[in-house]
Amino acid sequence: MGELCSNLTSGELAIEVEDLADERIVCRWRGRSVERDPAQVLGPYFEQLLEAAHDRCVPLEMRFDSLGHFNSSTIAALIRFIQSARGRGVRLVLFYDARLKWQRLSFEALRVLDKDDNLFQLVSV
Amino acid sequence: MSAEHGSARCVIDLPVRTEWKNIDLVSTSVRDCFTAVDLDRDECHTIAIVVAELMENAIKYGCWSAECEPGFVRVRIDESPRRTIVSVENPVDPDSRVLADLSATIAWIRSHGTAEEAYRERLLEIASGKVGKLGLVRVAFEGNCDIEASLSEDGRIVTVTARCHV
Repeated sequence: MGELCSNLTSGELAIEVEDLADERIVCRWRGRSVERDPAQVLGPYFEQLLEAAHDRCVPLEMRFDSLGHFNSSTIAALIRFIQSARGRGVRLVLFYDARLKWQRLSFEALRVLDKDDNLFQLVSV
Repeated sequence: MSAEHGSARCVIDLPVRTEWKNIDLVSTSVRDCFTAVDLDRDECHTIAIVVAELMENAIKYGCWSAECEPGFVRVRIDESPRRTIVSVENPVDPDSRVLADLSATIAWIRSHGTAEEAYRERLLEIASGKVGKLGLVRVAFEGNCDIEASLSEDGRIVTVTARCHV
């Protein structure tokens, strides 16, 4: 079994991990992702998460419903993460708050990346 | 900030220093100001997103060396019922391609039936590994904005204006 996943704090952003070992890995995004180059921090962090999820054959859940804001560079990093998860065969589920217009628009547009392969799912809360 | 309560028009006009952290400070302050004048929560957040994305572009692509003036980004928000105009201006090197690049992106957005179509296509481009700039397209889509870019007569100041129907 891979190592348990750790939390991330970067500037105004915090990602809190609830590592349910053999069941799933849950990442709760809080605060604001507003760094100039968020991929610099998020890229290696995502790789660790994917490695852990892949090793244990568990899905990754990303919960954005408590996130206050992310910039377009974060969206780009997230798209690369979605592609990387699919490439490794890791199931990825993104939760967002559809009552917030910005989350509804940002996340529902990501449906364009859904390939009906059961590896990527968007869930509104 | 000035406000004309009778016409419900609010104007914010700020010269902002170019430290990256100021983008979040200004955009959250703008959101909070418009919350205080009783705009809808989603509308306030949308205006903040437009301000943040335009400021990011201005700080990334502006000229901040000693020979370029002024050494700040100017942010202006003119809000009235049914439309919000956000404009951000920054100095550029007269020899740079900043305006040409902005104009090409704006033309690319307009070449689509809707800003949403342009946004989704840009997401697919990024997914396919292309280095895609998402900020202006996000402004057009999420802010429901028509975007224009212009250059001052002396060729040293670029202004990006987003006319949004939020």
